[in-house]
Amino acid sequence: MFDKVLLKNAEIPNAHGIGAYEAAGGYRALATVLHEYSPDELIQLVKDSNLRGRGGAGFPTGVKWGFVPKDPALEKYLCCNADESEPGTFKDRVIMEKDPHQMIEGMVIGAYAIGAQKAYIYIRGEYVLSIERTEAALKEAYRKGYLGERILGTDFNLEMFVHCGAGAYICGEETALLESVEGRRAQPKLKPPFPVVEGLYGCPTVINNVETLACLPHIVQRGAEWFRGIGPERSPGPKLYCLSGHVRKPGLYELPMGISLRELVEDHGGGPRSGGRIKAVIPGGVSAPMIPESGLDVAMDFDSLAAIDTMLGSAGVIVLDETACVVRVAKRITEFFNHESCGKCTPCREGLDWAVKILRRLEDGRGKHEDLDQLERLCGSIFGNSFCALGDGAAWALSAALKHFRDEFVRHIEDGRCPFH
Amino acid sequence: MAILTIDGNELEVADGTLILVAAQDQGISIPTFCYQERLTPLASCRMCLIEIEGQKKLQPACATPVADGMTVRTDTSLVAQTRESMLEMLLANHPLDCPICDKAGECELQDQVFAYGAGESRFRDEKRVFRTEDVLLNPVIVFNANRCIQCQRCVRICDEVVGAVALGTIEKGMDTEVTGFENSLAGCDHCGNCIEVCPVGALMSAPYRYKARPWDLTETDTVCHYCGTGCQLTVGMRDGHLARVRSKYETGVNGETLCVKGRFGFDIIDSKHRIRQPMVRRNGNLVAVSWEDAVGYLVERVRGAVEEGGARIGGLASPRLSNETLYLFQKLMRSVFRTNSIDSSSRWASSGPAAPGLYEALPAMFDGLYARRPLQDVLEADCILVVGSNVTDDNPVTDYLVRGAVRKRRNKLFIVSARPSRLDAEGAGFLRLLPGGEAGLFAALLDGLVEDAATEKSLPTACPDGDAQETDRTETAVPATPAWQEFLAGAIPALAAARTVTVLIGTDLLRAQEAAAALRWLRKLGRVLETLGKRVGVQFLFDRPNQMGAWELGGLPNMLPGWRPVDDGQSRAVFEQAWGTSLPSEPGADFGRMLAQCEAGEMEVLYVLGSDPILSYPDGALVESALSKVGLLVVQDAYLSETAGLADVVLPAANFVEEPGTFTNNEGKVQRGREIRPPAFEAMRNVEIFGSIASALGRDLGPTAAEQVFAEITRLVPSYRGLGFEAFDGAGAFTVPTENAAQDDPDDPPVPTPRESRGFALVTGDCMFHSGYLSRHSAILETLSAEPYVEMSPRDGRQLGLSEQASVIVRSRHGEARARLRFNKRFPDGVVFVPENFADLRLNRLLKQGEYPCQVEILKA
Repeated sequence: MFDKVLLKNAEIPNAHGIGAYEAAGGYRALATVLHEYSPDELIQLVKDSNLRGRGGAGFPTGVKWGFVPKDPALEKYLCCNADESEPGTFKDRVIMEKDPHQMIEGMVIGAYAIGAQKAYIYIRGEYVLSIERTEAALKEAYRKGYLGERILGTDFNLEMFVHCGAGAYICGEETALLESVEGRRAQPKLKPPFPVVEGLYGCPTVINNVETLACLPHIVQRGAEWFRGIGPERSPGPKLYCLSGHVRKPGLYELPMGISLRELVEDHGGGPRSGGRIKAVIPGGVSAPMIPESGLDVAMDFDSLAAIDTMLGSAGVIVLDETACVVRVAKRITEFFNHESCGKCTPCREGLDWAVKILRRLEDGRGKHEDLDQLERLCGSIFGNSFCALGDGAAWALSAALKHFRDEFVRHIEDGRCPFH
Repeated sequence: MAILTIDGNELEVADGTLILVAAQDQGISIPTFCYQERLTPLASCRMCLIEIEGQKKLQPACATPVADGMTVRTDTSLVAQTRESMLEMLLANHPLDCPICDKAGECELQDQVFAYGAGESRFRDEKRVFRTEDVLLNPVIVFNANRCIQCQRCVRICDEVVGAVALGTIEKGMDTEVTGFENSLAGCDHCGNCIEVCPVGALMSAPYRYKARPWDLTETDTVCHYCGTGCQLTVGMRDGHLARVRSKYETGVNGETLCVKGRFGFDIIDSKHRIRQPMVRRNGNLVAVSWEDAVGYLVERVRGAVEEGGARIGGLASPRLSNETLYLFQKLMRSVFRTNSIDSSSRWASSGPAAPGLYEALPAMFDGLYARRPLQDVLEADCILVVGSNVTDDNPVTDYLVRGAVRKRRNKLFIVSARPSRLDAEGAGFLRLLPGGEAGLFAALLDGLVEDAATEKSLPTACPDGDAQETDRTETAVPATPAWQEFLAGAIPALAAARTVTVLIGTDLLRAQEAAAALRWLRKLGRVLETLGKRVGVQFLFDRPNQMGAWELGGLPNMLPGWRPVDDGQSRAVFEQAWGTSLPSEPGADFGRMLAQCEAGEMEVLYVLGSDPILSYPDGALVESALSKVGLLVVQDAYLSETAGLADVVLPAANFVEEPGTFTNNEGKVQRGREIRPPAFEAMRNVEIFGSIASALGRDLGPTAAEQVFAEITRLVPSYRGLGFEAFDGAGAFTVPTENAAQDDPDDPPVPTPRESRGFALVTGDCMFHSGYLSRHSAILETLSAEPYVEMSPRDGRQLGLSEQASVIVRSRHGEARARLRFNKRFPDGVVFVPENFADLRLNRLLKQGEYPCQVEILKA
């Protein structure tokens, strides 16, 4: 039986208060870090742990930190990406609502590693309770001396702010997030320069996901080797899986990285709703290509999922049973991305709008066979050519639906109606 | 340097060069919509995607710098297919209404679809339509959102170049729309640079709307006649009338930009207010006569004054005229009319017993210190000091260039001016200083530098300001206001640390009585900076297109062309030999002194060329009275002016598109103004009028064709030596620095003591939409800005119990004027600005020569 790490406090009543957090050993890792580690030693520890970013891209956290210029004259920033706007994803929300100090402690540790004296938590605006609890937790942390000047009697100072998003999906893209914090229109920026070199207000900036940061106190307290021992060597650690859709027991599950998708869905999630059979599973939020039932024996980690042309992403696992119309799902997902396209680049802005128009026709039974070719062409034109990952993700997700379930699209055309509705 | 191959061609280019640019230099054109040289790369249109060996994805050539060993392919089927699909996507929702689109024929989308597109669309759904009617964002900008392809060039140029930030983007995805606040651009600069950069027919010129197809136009490249920046522009005529003005991509000092005056003020060429025929005053009325009669009458009246030696003849020429016209005018005055009383501006401080010598201080500015170099180069200086100009209003395109330079290079910019400008925000510091205080500022900077250098022990002994003068320096104490102290605390270390320093001098400085002292101190400051090993460049920011040429070619009472003193025998001999006649040796009167001469009844002939001193001379009472006492007032102009109304002889001249000629801009660059059509009505070319007057007096003024006059200039004026008239196609040609006979002042010039000021200090100058009194002939500019106004800080206004838009009276000791109040929260207290562009206001009736800035009170009307 796997012992919960990130969610170990979640069931404790009022775990979001600092009293409960401290009682469960909270902020001890911070004291250890500030008194026993140099920033470089801390970065090495995180590198040794093989912690990979939980926001979706899976970039090694310690390596990212290592890119931050060491020049002490440069101001540096840490941003926590709590925008969590990928449909099917609700893990960061639980951390912020149930155990916000875990994230804050992780942020202080991260800020110490990179030499930041200012940190922002970018929380999606709809997460009202998360914002409330995080703000309350910040006040507590200031009061207890875990934030502010001379933290725990050391020379380290850190100010932390909450910045609320206003509802745009694109703000989860790290450069758009920074633009939004600066008060600008949220659109992704050219990379390079990467944020670690030139980010917020032109200064070196590290952006980490909530779950990534929440891992840090545990790595400090229990060591890199412990962390690396959980799940596969190349992407280890405890992992939060958001299980939703046509499944008996939807919810947030903490399990080792690398658990089999079938085990997650069938054992932990209780399998499909009564009488149903699984048709497909989206493994990592709606931008992750869906996997047909036959492919569920795959390990839930960055590399294994990449190997079958999909991704772990935000680990938002969405289960579709036989009653689901894939055309409708594909239409809904594409509509979402089209609605959230920032409008900056041609393929994402124009291509997704075009794709939605075709998908709506197809679902209504007004499609033609050449529409399918056109959808494939559009996916090809968008994928790899859009400015940021939004367009890529949208095209990738749509092309998987087309690839695995083309017959359903064809039936819509031939029947002149949706066979499911 | 990096060595890379593009489509199999190996090339070596500088590190950091963008692939797009490197390819272009190889003759490989990579299509793009969102890339523009002077804007930050966006890489959003995805037209320029190319293959780079070893990279999984296609990369944007417009944002990817070259790397050593890189292999780039722009000619693969994948690249071609990607271009085709980007275009297909861009066209999906594009209205394809080319037949009724102004842009058709020069539309980048059209051109690229033609070059790289599929030829047919597979899009068969309904197109997105923002709205069916176009929106008039302001009187000159029309917007059709349906055609927009979201390249964001307009938004970026408005922010990054113009600095107005009037355009922005609302909504997202397919609903993304470029617009101004509340779907209006009523408050913007109206410069139309957004129209210029728009690749499609989304942002369009309202005045040009539905006027012509690009292929209907006869387009001529020429130089703008509004200010001294000297922008290159292209005038498009249809059937002999103006259709539009545009600028060309990365051409001229201005690149692709123009200001509202240049882009929309050219309709003056078709103004109704032209002087159509020669006229002479008979029985108190001006009556139309033939050219023969007019010249005959003029000559008859002039002959006596010439024969008595020319002392009772004076001439005032406009600094808007060409080098050839100005040169030939002073040649006519000097060699035929035998007078040195020549001036080329009516607005500057006049010399007199009270204020010796602005013009005596000038020659020293034009020796080595004047930077006859591209403004772009000059703006690369580590430290830039702008003194006495609201650049944003006076020289808008120079403002763009300064902004661009400072944002790119992050060099230190310091602004010293009476009124705030948009450039203040770009600078490291600014100081609000009334005209007349500049000498004190330069002296204070110099003191600070010398002190700084003395502590650093790096000041060479050759410095003109030795230690011996230490005690003197403390007497040039600056006002101990926090603003001064703060400014100096920023500027002095910046000057000390800079390796290169640029000083840009505006025309505010030239109006005040202390102008000569200011120039002397500036010269001294320049010399000290040079002694400290810095490269120093000074340029003027003239608000007229050819003040440089006017001064350099003898439009001064004390200087022959090429800064040769008239009272110097050797200098005179050069011209006496060339012109085959003796020349008067006494320096003449500047315009202020000419007026005094008129007032005393001692002026027989006053020849006013293209100028309107009744409105512009800063002493309305004097100029009105004086001009009524001239024996013969001659006005030669293209447009009806107030002064022409008083004239005895009125000669209709060609306007600036009706005669060829060259102009010397603020950079010292000579550019060619083109003859676009023959003179309208009975107008004659200015130079030909001079020729006929001279021959009627039995004298030969030499050849008058522009090429020949210019050739004469290049023979006789050292800075212009070797320049060929033909060489000006395109880029223009720089005059070269020469050492003048000018001597450094042996002593420190005096620092004028600040004048006591009661009430408000009135300053004037151009507003953004006008240029002197000429632009009132532009119907479009009049639409944009027809009303005079009084600008002041809201705090002052409130203290006077006045609200914005209130009608107020501005009263000086000499007169009053009435206008509406405009608040500007960045305006300094105690200062009001009234633009000098509104004839009906007769602002100069408030002013008096030598009393600038003028003390006024502001009263509720």
